[in-house]
Amino acid sequence: MPISRAATSFALPPGLPEIRGLDFKPPKGDRAVLDNGLVVYLMKDNTLPVLHMTAYIRTGKINDSLGKRGLGELTASLLKDGGTLKYTPGEIDRTLEFLGASVESSMGIEEARADLTALSKDLDAALDIYADMLMNPAFAPGKVKLKRAELLEMLRRRNDDSGRAVVREALRAFYGPSHPYGWRSEEDTIIAVTIEDIKAYHANYYRPNNMILAAAGDFTSNGEMLAGLNARFGSWRRGKVEFPVIPPVQIEAKRRVYHVEKDIAQAYIVMLQRGIKRHDPAEYPLTVANEIIGGGSGLSSRLAAEIRSRRGLAYTVYSYSVKKPDYGYTLTYCGTKPETCSQALTEILRQFKEIGREAAPAEEVKNAKDAIVNSFVFKFPTPFELITERASYEYYGYSPEYLDTYVQKLSAAGPAEVLETAKKLYRPDEAMILVIGNSRKFDKPLSEFGPVTELRED
Amino acid sequence: MEEIIKSTDHSTLPPSAESGGGLPPGAAVEKDPKYPPVVSYTLKNGLKLLILEKKFVPTVSFTMMFKVGNVDGQQGKTGLAHLFEHMAFKGTKTINSAGYAKEKPALDQVEAAARDLIAEESAASPRPEKLEELRGNLDSAEKEADKFIVKDEYLRLYKSLGESGMNAMTSTDYTGYVVSLPSDRLEAWMMIESDRFRNAVLREFYRERSVVMEERRMGESDPNRLLWEALFTNAFSAHPYHNPTIGWMDDITRLTRTDAEQFFNTFYVPNNAALAVVGDVAPAEVIRLAEKHFGIWEKRALPDRTHTKEPPQKSEKLINVFFKAQPALRIGFHNPGMGHPDIYPLIMAGEVLANGKTGRFYKNLVEGRELALYADVHPSLPGDRYPSLTVVYGAPKAPHTVEELDAALLEEIRKLGTEPPTRWELDKIINNYQAEMIKQLESNSGLAMSLAHSEEIMGDWRYDWKAGDELRKVKPEDISRVAAKYLTRDNRTAVFLREPLNQEAY
Repeated sequence: MPISRAATSFALPPGLPEIRGLDFKPPKGDRAVLDNGLVVYLMKDNTLPVLHMTAYIRTGKINDSLGKRGLGELTASLLKDGGTLKYTPGEIDRTLEFLGASVESSMGIEEARADLTALSKDLDAALDIYADMLMNPAFAPGKVKLKRAELLEMLRRRNDDSGRAVVREALRAFYGPSHPYGWRSEEDTIIAVTIEDIKAYHANYYRPNNMILAAAGDFTSNGEMLAGLNARFGSWRRGKVEFPVIPPVQIEAKRRVYHVEKDIAQAYIVMLQRGIKRHDPAEYPLTVANEIIGGGSGLSSRLAAEIRSRRGLAYTVYSYSVKKPDYGYTLTYCGTKPETCSQALTEILRQFKEIGREAAPAEEVKNAKDAIVNSFVFKFPTPFELITERASYEYYGYSPEYLDTYVQKLSAAGPAEVLETAKKLYRPDEAMILVIGNSRKFDKPLSEFGPVTELRED
Repeated sequence: MEEIIKSTDHSTLPPSAESGGGLPPGAAVEKDPKYPPVVSYTLKNGLKLLILEKKFVPTVSFTMMFKVGNVDGQQGKTGLAHLFEHMAFKGTKTINSAGYAKEKPALDQVEAAARDLIAEESAASPRPEKLEELRGNLDSAEKEADKFIVKDEYLRLYKSLGESGMNAMTSTDYTGYVVSLPSDRLEAWMMIESDRFRNAVLREFYRERSVVMEERRMGESDPNRLLWEALFTNAFSAHPYHNPTIGWMDDITRLTRTDAEQFFNTFYVPNNAALAVVGDVAPAEVIRLAEKHFGIWEKRALPDRTHTKEPPQKSEKLINVFFKAQPALRIGFHNPGMGHPDIYPLIMAGEVLANGKTGRFYKNLVEGRELALYADVHPSLPGDRYPSLTVVYGAPKAPHTVEELDAALLEEIRKLGTEPPTRWELDKIINNYQAEMIKQLESNSGLAMSLAHSEEIMGDWRYDWKAGDELRKVKPEDISRVAAKYLTRDNRTAVFLREPLNQEAY
């Protein structure tokens, strides 16, 4: 699919060779399904004697219960650290660390992951541990206690860096503190989690039919790799997985302002607007609109150009959109000195109004699309990143052609589609705003932006 | 380096690179299988090229590394290296400009207005009305200059070309410029960057200076960064590693475009730089294009880089930083520098203490005594060009205090000084190092950065591999010897992060 329209149109230095659009078709890799339902993506690459593997396990922090927020994270972080049926925690650490290999497990908002990296000569040893950790974790009580104490210590530290806290607290205020899209763990919800809860959580979600595994690197052949996976995972039994019902997202369509008083050198501003559900085709024009207003590696977006480069008000200012099964969000972030907080916020609001009021010039839309299309190839810098990308699309329920038609669909979004989407999805008058900062130094009170709710840092 | 040998056996590196096909005289292909087959070549003006052809996707990653950092600035003008780095995205005489002949006088007006303002600001008692007038003058001069600016053209140009990861970084030691592009943009990159480093125009200087002040404020809001600054500032009293790379706020407010231009003219010369190019490109073509576009860049003599040597510390420095955050700790021990043979056992000492969950800190302090959230070691901060610090850092787990953690860390260090590590501990570290050496070949952008840094700052692009050989030679008793010699109380600066004593007062 040659993207002829992706050629650049700048007044380049004289003599520059013609820059063509990029015609790149991402390699497919291979997909297989084991008898127990485990989906496997493979891509052989013998360039270096190393191998990577990742697995997506269908769960996430959103599947915790309100009273046991932190259960998923505790389970994932103890899969390896708590030892397994075959190996004690000490044996696992000594084996892996002596080989310079790594096996890790983590819990995201909408996905659990398990990763492996090893030199290919050490694959068998690392894979034995990886498989046993996924299938037969032991959750040794001493390790559970240690991990719980670690999570509690991290919790005590969650407000140390205000630039990070502001994003978490804004999402919490936006979706509501007891909705899974916005919630955070608390001391009592972590303490409430028992070893029995952890074992039950593992037994429910960690099943071959609830997992997609991707591997790339230095193996001899797909057949041999599949045989190795079958030997380890083949006897792992299917299970019926119970998923909790996530309550529908409810977002009030009116301006809300939240403020956390804190005497620090910058004020941190996060603005949230309602976004789209995961498979909404609006994602293409929305991606272009975001590239224009605040995206990309982003010093030339409208927000960065105006707030950073022209006015020198911020070092960090950007926006991005997140899709979710239910409504996602568009997040705008800015750090500025408290004395210019309202100046920066006013400009953010103005820019979002502007892009929904008047169609962006065709040239600007074209440049935004060029940026996305011509850098598309960087989604897959290595075979492992490519195959992981493919696995993630299956995990998130995209059609098998999603990746291969992405560029084409994105290219179809012109100024009219971008305007229509911006009108619909950018509604700054209904946006929620959360600011952490020293209000005594603000250039104008936050109440100028809407009714303010004062929050305490906790 | 058996694994490394295997890596080249396995490689699908193209025959042109392995045979050196089409390379001009003076280009060398690394043939020793323990290194990747990097092609190296030096232009007549001194610009060093390092090229590694790697195919998977049609992309190429560039790092242009200059041996200039905050350490090369002068007292009173700290932060200049970093501010210049920001300015290097503001275009040239042709890029970002609607006509430089008309723009230049307008920029000179901005400079004159800014210097008047800075003079008044720096006065013993600045007059408020005068300040307002001078700020107004600067504002109008900037608006006038705006008429001749094509805003953000440099950035938009790269966006359209399909850049990924365009960025720059400044440290005490170096300034590096990085970007990745689809590989057929090779010559576009050569043209734009050659123009950038020969004809930079520092337009919108005073606005960007404000951006940097915001960057500094961001650091001041983050207890972690605050701790690092407190460590380096207190550990070094005479050597310029004392100064924060971003600069002291008071210095930043007085930096001028003229300062930055002088800095640029002094240090941004081809004989002070290395360029690494990694990706789907033919080395002969990279050399041909580099000759064509960078060959005209003029070589100039560099100033002397001798600085006051940091005197032996001979006293323990204990610093309390008060900030509303949970406690943490940084301990810096002066080390003899990366050129000294003791550095290798010292690096190994750090690894014995902190490498993984089988490392002593984790095993004994995070697990065993359960008093640390984490504890780690960095072998050389803030830089590598001059003797620096071996840094031990960590955070206590409540109810344990920084004092308890500090005492426990010192106890582990003391034990290392008296009881040499086991063979298993050392083999583990060497295995890890070897695996890292292989993994670092996976990412084009990471490898470009590492090759350019090793060449320009450490003196040889093979540095990481050679250091591996040195680490392998280290004996257990060497580690105990250097631990007892360098990791001592009177050679340390310990910085404690604490909650304000009386919260109401802050």
